[in-house]
Amino acid sequence: MAKTIGQEFVKGLWEEIPPFRLVLGLCPTLAVTKSVENGIGMGLATTFVLVCANILVSLLSGVIPSKIRIACFIIIIATFVTVVELMMQAYAYQLFQNLGIFIPLIVVNCIVLGRSEAFASKNKVVPSFADGLGIGIGFTISLTVISAVRESLGTGKIMGNQLFGSSFEPFSFMVEAPGAFICLGLLLCVMNMVSSK
Amino acid sequence: MREMVKMVIVLVVLSSLSGGLLAGLKNKYQERIDNQILTFVKGPAIHSILKDASNDPVADRFSLSINDAEKVFFVGIIDGVPRAVAFEAFGGGYGGDLGVMVAVDVQTDEIINISVTTHNETPGIGSAVETDTDFKNQFAGKKAVGDFKVKNDGGEITAMSGATVTSKAVCSAVQRAGDMYQQVKSQIKDQVKNFTG
Amino acid sequence: MGDYTVLIISSILINNIVLAQYLGICPFIGTSKKMETATGMAGAVVFVMTLAAIITWTIDTYFLKTLNIEFLRTISFILVIASLVQFVEMFLKKSIPALYAGLGIFLPLITTNCAVMGVCLINIKEEYSFLQALVSSISYAVGFGLALILFAGIRERVILGRVPRPLQDTSIGLITAGMLALVFIGFKGLV
Repeated sequence: MAKTIGQEFVKGLWEEIPPFRLVLGLCPTLAVTKSVENGIGMGLATTFVLVCANILVSLLSGVIPSKIRIACFIIIIATFVTVVELMMQAYAYQLFQNLGIFIPLIVVNCIVLGRSEAFASKNKVVPSFADGLGIGIGFTISLTVISAVRESLGTGKIMGNQLFGSSFEPFSFMVEAPGAFICLGLLLCVMNMVSSK
Repeated sequence: MREMVKMVIVLVVLSSLSGGLLAGLKNKYQERIDNQILTFVKGPAIHSILKDASNDPVADRFSLSINDAEKVFFVGIIDGVPRAVAFEAFGGGYGGDLGVMVAVDVQTDEIINISVTTHNETPGIGSAVETDTDFKNQFAGKKAVGDFKVKNDGGEITAMSGATVTSKAVCSAVQRAGDMYQQVKSQIKDQVKNFTG
Repeated sequence: MGDYTVLIISSILINNIVLAQYLGICPFIGTSKKMETATGMAGAVVFVMTLAAIITWTIDTYFLKTLNIEFLRTISFILVIASLVQFVEMFLKKSIPALYAGLGIFLPLITTNCAVMGVCLINIKEEYSFLQALVSSISYAVGFGLALILFAGIRERVILGRVPRPLQDTSIGLITAGMLALVFIGFKGLV
């Protein structure tokens, strides 16, 4: 039990890194990883919601009656999601257009609700903050890795930079839906191989 | 019973806090968001028809009320003179309303060019209206008044092949734009003078 | 009528909610290990998705849009879905126990099924009319069920094979789903 704040933070980066270790939040993982930009944007948006929701849930855990806790968590999460939605419209409209309905769908991202229920409602503010930040950053890293693989193979570019020279024929399968599933499956396999050693 | 009351209170307080916070944020950022939407949604269409403008037409805009509706006009400064206005009009297409941005030269009353902003036409057939410049160029140089009709209806616009309904929708949108322009021409001319290079 | 046929076919096959729109993947992977659970989940989703889509469409059109508070869409939709699920659960338990026995355990899971929320949002985004929203949400739900049941059928066989260790479970599941998605791409020329 006696984990330090540092450990709470670090576990999100490898031990429990979503979506590889905690197989949750797969929809945004597959949907927005067509390009690195979108992947990072989505990761950061989720991190913001995760951290804010974790803090507030752990602060209010004494006040919220346990019978309606899920409803309360959902209201809290939905509020922060709408905050992200508004801010993104105001400051990063293009990203908002690219991510489309997947911004409001952060509400139903099981990672966020899962952390509120499993961690924040049972812990104090500081560890909850560290937990949220760790899981959020872990999620961002995963999205970045997946989108880097998909974008580089699928279009031959990363953030607009040509990678392989002109003779490269883009493997556009990778940016389509089947490529997303297979890419995530293979990365999961690599992850299992690395950690089983 | 006490528990029940507590539940209701918690939910009500939480929801009203969240609603209040969001309404506040929304009000604060409304203007910025509107700006962003104009820049990214209408912006490309406006820029494509006012290529020669030396200013940013999205930033230089005014609004007039026509038949109780607010209509936004974008001013383009060409050769140092604020002589072009662009505004949007709608026509009924195959899949609902089709929006057309029309740019008019206020000195000659001639249409400079048109561009499609929003449409819901069949992909591959009506949707060609986005890219078919030959079709759209037919409107350039015509007086912004009177009837715009496809040849089938006795007009002089050649419809896009296979997409008569869409072509008609564009015509009726342009015609409405012309009507609006005639209705508020003097106001437009007054307003435009306020913008100088 | 033709429009609706196109809408139905494209919602079930071409824009399949799981395999082309990337929605509802968590329950898709999570409940597909056994055919029995897969059919249960599929039934529950058809039920809830249709109801949720109708209710959220009505709220959005007659309440949020008229009051000009569309920024509260996310929060109101999720609350509607969550309470709807709870209500359906209570209703089934009381009045149709047989159905409850089949669907009961899947109902709470649906609250966080992004396919349900996703379809509600798609209906608004595409500016569907009431009938279109109804037809599209039923079709999307059927598409979800179809994909889930097909996938469960394949997965039951995959378990019997000798899968290399690192590939086991979710990993091979995702790759199988990828193959299935590839098959569904073949429907693209239909409409």
